[in-house]
Amino acid sequence: MRVTIWGLLLALTLGTVPAWAVLGQYESSVSVDQQYLVSKDSVQAFPSYKVHLLTTAKGTVVREYISPQGLVFGVAWQAPFMPNMQQLLGSYATNLQTATRAQTQVRHLRGLIVRTNDFVFSNSGHLRFWRGSAYVPSLVPNNVSVEVVR
Amino acid sequence: MIFKDGSRAALGCFLAVLTGLILLGSCGGSSSSSSGPPAQNNTASVTVGFGALGPSGGYVNGIWTTVTVCAPGSTTNCQTIDNVLVDTGSAGLRVLNSALTTIPASSLGAVTDSNGDQLEECVQYGDTSYTWGPIMLANVELAGETASSLPIQVIGGTSATVPSQCLSTPVLPGYGNDDTVQTLGANGILGVGAYGYPYDCGSFCTDPSDLTAAGYPYYVCPSGQACSAVETTTQAANPIVAFSSSDNNGVLITLPSVPATGAADGTISGSLIFGIGTQSDNAFASSVTVYGLDEYGNIPEATYNGVEYTSPNNTIILDTGSNAFYFLDASTLAPQGIIECADEPGFYCPASTIPFSVAVAGSASTSGTIAFSIANADTLFASGNAAINDLGGDGGTSPSTDNLDFGLPFFFGRTVYVGMAPGAFTGETTPPSAALSAAYGYYAF
Repeated sequence: MRVTIWGLLLALTLGTVPAWAVLGQYESSVSVDQQYLVSKDSVQAFPSYKVHLLTTAKGTVVREYISPQGLVFGVAWQAPFMPNMQQLLGSYATNLQTATRAQTQVRHLRGLIVRTNDFVFSNSGHLRFWRGSAYVPSLVPNNVSVEVVR
Repeated sequence: MIFKDGSRAALGCFLAVLTGLILLGSCGGSSSSSSGPPAQNNTASVTVGFGALGPSGGYVNGIWTTVTVCAPGSTTNCQTIDNVLVDTGSAGLRVLNSALTTIPASSLGAVTDSNGDQLEECVQYGDTSYTWGPIMLANVELAGETASSLPIQVIGGTSATVPSQCLSTPVLPGYGNDDTVQTLGANGILGVGAYGYPYDCGSFCTDPSDLTAAGYPYYVCPSGQACSAVETTTQAANPIVAFSSSDNNGVLITLPSVPATGAADGTISGSLIFGIGTQSDNAFASSVTVYGLDEYGNIPEATYNGVEYTSPNNTIILDTGSNAFYFLDASTLAPQGIIECADEPGFYCPASTIPFSVAVAGSASTSGTIAFSIANADTLFASGNAAINDLGGDGGTSPSTDNLDFGLPFFFGRTVYVGMAPGAFTGETTPPSAALSAAYGYYAF
């Protein structure tokens, strides 16, 4: 709870902290997502990273992956509606707009894959089920596979 | 509740909206009786090709049909709309406002709350684009079937601003709103999927606690005010839920084989047949295998090259709304010879045609194999053909999250049953006995 309040205070009072979490930001930004999603947050620790698992009563699941440096290096989601990319990707969301055509695969009505130098994003599914993930390769701990972000 | 067309209110079914009074599934729409209804023409024709935008603007492997939209209760105040995408990846009929030329959207039945405010819907799709417009009631005719007073979405039929809650980040300036033929690539979408749930939102949109969710679809937009999310049972739905016949427990999609070199625009025709085991032309063949879906609407499990892929981390689907085999990713398939096309991002351009075989398993431990081939997309596109068998592309960025999305080419040369879950809605005809355990619907082939 203390962490939650601290995160919100930070977000509210410091201009340098984005109102949205979270990709590439400090772990404290996870709590903003948790508040937004009205979700439970459970933390699982692994040898070289940890995962915040945010779940709602109606099946939205968001996982946020934290490096030993305390930075969110990846997020993954499953939800009945498309999640808010601004919220999950923070400043990295602009990559979705600035990526070149060669870096972008648009599957009409179904999915989107964007791969830039330091941002990898995929989202797809069908009505009532969308899932996806995004990560920042330079923030992924050396001994951790990007495969964990799911 | 106030309705523009007062006579519709008597139908009751979908109309108990926006009041907190929840009656989901209370009407179903079927009037099937034990004596059996007279045989209906239950077969709509479909064609494969570029669709409304033609070779210059369309995409390959679109599957198109024609629907007739009528004012509620009318069989004469109607409009025929062609180039409507047949989509097993969504539920509900959505037509462009601009396609309603001879009968304007205003002649359809309004759906309003107690303040007289029209129900609007915003559906966000996986590519971050969206359809935004009112839910209106229409009589929808498909072949000889009629869905009476069906809630449909009229895309672009509102002047209200899209709620920010429904906006993810559009990819490019000008991209996002699918409210024109150019951006939608079609005159409409006929969603005949959502196999466990014929409604496009279901219980998510009848629970007030979900109204703040990102991407929430239903709104009212009072004049001069921002739109606000509302709960509703009046949802866009697979038209079969409102059929007057008993052909309402699923559909069959039948397409002929396509040569390896492809086929020209519009030369491949097939059938969209309503009902499963309800008439002589949609009998459930004993030779097919039922693949029950999971709670996400996905095939639960697939195995390729010794690696197991499982829903929901991997989305495993048969989808007429996908135009290729979006299968794993180019890095994962590099040992098999798959490489990305240099000039067509996301498509595969192997040096030669590569065969694949994937084991799939349904919810009741049924199993089978999906075999397909992937050829050089550049070569396939250069042919100018619009129906293409061996088109493949990335289904993701790494195996732990990749899709196994078997798109329209999977449907070539076979019949696929797309079945609703037993009891998915009141009045549903009982599915074939082999599918009775498919609690979230099924594919069979």
